[in-house]
Amino acid sequence: MSREEFLLQLDEVLELPAGSLHGPEKLEELEQWDSSAVIGFIALADDHNGVSISPRKIADCVTVDDLLRLAQVPGASE
Amino acid sequence: MQAAVSAIEYYLPTKAISTADLSAEFPEWPAEKIDEKTGIRERHIAAPGECASDMAVAAAHKLFESGKYRPDQIDYLLLCTQSPDYFLPSTACLVQDRLGIPTHTGAMDFNLGCSGFVYGLGLAQGLISSGQAATILLITAETYSKFLNPRDRSVRTIFGDAAAATVLSADPSPTPLIGPFVYGTDGRGGPNLIVPAGGMRLQRSSETAVAVRDDGGNVRSQDDLYMNGAEIFNFTLDVVPQTVKSLLEKAGLTAGDVDLFVFHQANRFMLDHLRKRLHIAAEKFPVTMSHCGNTVSSTIPIALHHAAAEGKLGPGALVMLVGFGVGYSWGATLLRWSGLR
Repeated sequence: MSREEFLLQLDEVLELPAGSLHGPEKLEELEQWDSSAVIGFIALADDHNGVSISPRKIADCVTVDDLLRLAQVPGASE
Repeated sequence: MQAAVSAIEYYLPTKAISTADLSAEFPEWPAEKIDEKTGIRERHIAAPGECASDMAVAAAHKLFESGKYRPDQIDYLLLCTQSPDYFLPSTACLVQDRLGIPTHTGAMDFNLGCSGFVYGLGLAQGLISSGQAATILLITAETYSKFLNPRDRSVRTIFGDAAAATVLSADPSPTPLIGPFVYGTDGRGGPNLIVPAGGMRLQRSSETAVAVRDDGGNVRSQDDLYMNGAEIFNFTLDVVPQTVKSLLEKAGLTAGDVDLFVFHQANRFMLDHLRKRLHIAAEKFPVTMSHCGNTVSSTIPIALHHAAAEGKLGPGALVMLVGFGVGYSWGATLLRWSGLR
């Protein structure tokens, strides 16, 4: 799954319009980033490449890009 | 002799809380979102004075009233519950008395949740194949609702109360009808699904009763059930696919040999994800929880009951059962269906 495809799927997890997320967004500023969205992200990462992600590591993420790095999405910004 | 599943009945308490009821009580929880995430339309809740033994007796009565078995035919009672009537005596002893099961019967409680039915089958298979019993009544009965804080959305939407009564009888089959078994335990997951206070480790007090609101807006005290949904989901993804693989390897089979996969009915989102991850066709993977929610150790027997009633289990059908959750505890087995009486 490419970075763009992952972001579109993450838009869906957060019930945002397609193309809403680009990477630099801060998670604490996303109203839709709740416990349900965390589970949706874990499922998305598992679908993407079978990556198992600890919820504690997700809690350390500050931006959407941090989530992409955690999910080992190619092209995730540094 | 081998153990064979020969009867399954279940009981749901009268009071049902619908998703619409929850949404009316808490307008910030849209009914559509609850339904989409959980797949649960109703959760049945035990009445204030209704305990695990009452539900166990009700489920067993349904089984006896069907004429399939009589109480005097039972020679061992296994009761799986995490919400016993008392710390002591065992709830199984009380149920033996109320059902009129003979006093020369063995009876015991065992404390497991979502994996409980599979463990119960393992115990029953051992008791029957070793000649210790011939007709076992395995009851799963849970009143998790009594542990839930009314303002904790994370758990109120999911859990429902129920009891299931299953008879396992001795069958002269030359090969096991239940098995092999794969078990697993990881106590590091204990804190992720727990009622912290009320046991011996932390007795209830005015301090433990103090309710706190979490980051998600859910309210609970240490007297209430806490579930870390994300950790539980992660555990499921780590453990369940590997368990399925291990069981098939142990049995020398492939997934294609299995006619039906009956997993613990935790919530629809998790089940859908697991089904797709394991490449299991939807018609082989019943999801039977919309009418009762996550009933903990009763979800598998309830799903089996409905699968049989709907004609999804022909004689000789091979069924994989996988239970996983609180503990963490998990177990899986294969069941060669011989039909219900």
